[in-house]
Amino acid sequence: MGSGDIVFGPGALIAVGCYLLSMIGVGYYARTKRQADSMADFYLAGRSLGLLVLFLTLYATQYSGNTLFGYTGKTYRIGFEWTVSILFMFSIIIGYMLFAPRLVVLARAEGFITPGDYISYRFKSRALTLLSTTMMIYALCNYTLAQLKAMGAAVEGITNGAVPSAYGIVALAIIMVIYETLGGMRSVAWTDVMQGIVLLIGFALLVIIVPTQLGGGLESVVQRLREIDPSKVQVPDGQGNNTWISYVFLLGCGAAIYPQAIQRLYASRSLAVLKRSLMLMAFMPLTTTLIALVCGLTAIVVLPGLESVETDQVLARVLALVMAESTLGYWLVVVVFAAALAALMSTADSALLSISSMFTRDIYLPHIKPDSSETHLTWVGKVFSWIAVALLVAVAIGTEKTLVRLLELKFEVLIQVVPCFFFGLYWKRLSGRVALLGMAAGLVVALVLTWSGNRLPWGFHAGVLGLFINAGVCAVGTWLAPDTSEER
Amino acid sequence: MQHRAFNRITSEPRSVRWIWFVYLALYAVAIPWYWPEGYIGPLVMGFPLWVATTLLAIVALAGWTAYVIHRFWRSEDEETV
Repeated sequence: MGSGDIVFGPGALIAVGCYLLSMIGVGYYARTKRQADSMADFYLAGRSLGLLVLFLTLYATQYSGNTLFGYTGKTYRIGFEWTVSILFMFSIIIGYMLFAPRLVVLARAEGFITPGDYISYRFKSRALTLLSTTMMIYALCNYTLAQLKAMGAAVEGITNGAVPSAYGIVALAIIMVIYETLGGMRSVAWTDVMQGIVLLIGFALLVIIVPTQLGGGLESVVQRLREIDPSKVQVPDGQGNNTWISYVFLLGCGAAIYPQAIQRLYASRSLAVLKRSLMLMAFMPLTTTLIALVCGLTAIVVLPGLESVETDQVLARVLALVMAESTLGYWLVVVVFAAALAALMSTADSALLSISSMFTRDIYLPHIKPDSSETHLTWVGKVFSWIAVALLVAVAIGTEKTLVRLLELKFEVLIQVVPCFFFGLYWKRLSGRVALLGMAAGLVVALVLTWSGNRLPWGFHAGVLGLFINAGVCAVGTWLAPDTSEER
Repeated sequence: MQHRAFNRITSEPRSVRWIWFVYLALYAVAIPWYWPEGYIGPLVMGFPLWVATTLLAIVALAGWTAYVIHRFWRSEDEETV
């Protein structure tokens, strides 16, 4: 096979094509199963998700294209120090435990659909709801952008550059938005079940084939890595440990309040189902992120010398090597490639659905057309999904930043909404005005540090330092100017 | 904040303080701050000793979390809430 040839043959292309088209089929089936023409039915599947669907949709949504491509790329760049990814992905479950017990019962009692519904109900501040919703939409657009970029990297990498990333981005985005607008959350969650299963199979295959077939086993890979570049095997230094702590805060707090994750909390059939799903999710970093780490380590040994943006395509290049070795390897890679698409699409479709719901419910309804019917709002949400996808595809095709960099910038902003949930549900005297002030202060600190080139002062992420300021403002503000309206 | 729906919660992890001391101890093991600078160590199942220790702590954290969710996150009538 020459370096410019398309690696997949007709059989594999048909298999992947059928897999993708089946998602549209699932979307159509989900549309026939809708119970009502309401926002709760479209965006939360009528609050009916059972254990299997909820667990797999949480899993497929949380483990994204970044886990496969961004994390293998990051491991390629920094080695074992990226073991922190397993710890921070686990920490998200602890984040849930800090606010979900109250949010879940409140959402059920008050009929929340978006995170903005909670903020609006709790703080009764239009400015706070608008700012936090805008920040969440920005973060999710960034997140979707990272998935779209990874789709392009996947297609370009697996074809050794013969198919440009732009074609992959456009084709997959169109499929995604079709099934999403057909059936809403029901369609997204059901496709997530398929995608989650394919993702689990894909990761199982990755851990079997990559280190053993290419690197001669994990021990051999690490021995060689120790000789080639010992800095990638050594324990992190003091500043590195600060960065580990910072990542635990950044992801543990930030990813727990992803709007699409919060909406899955709202959509569970019962608390028992939600608890069981989260108990299972606590173990998933060990079957997912750890495998991405091992694949990235193997890549350092078998594909030395890649730089910058190229490193985000390292997994695709490793798979191309496996593919070239045998027919079995070829078909294994077809399954892993399907898993990669599953990871990307399941995350992007969930983010897109959340963006659409937040625009419709938290911006369009209160600020543009307050007397809208539920049917009209659902229609507006669908139209907005198409417009958002078109804009994001255009941006994805035109930028060059690496995937993990995109992820970090998103969290710098999203994490500033954390006090509204972590404190707002427990501190009855935290007012909307103080929460808004804290959010603005945290955001300014995070952005000024990032834009002035101090992205990691003392090893801590700018967003995490912003969060500390934000939390401090909330604490001092609540003490100096407590909200007594609830008591009155 | 206060809401009548919160009366249905009979226990939540956030309000059981000692749970968080266990988390603190497990995180203190998981974050590799206590190894000498530049340490690699022998390989354990293919991983350097410091990585194997971190992974073991994460397994313990996951197990502890599953127990905490099961035992300390309780609500009346969990099948319908």
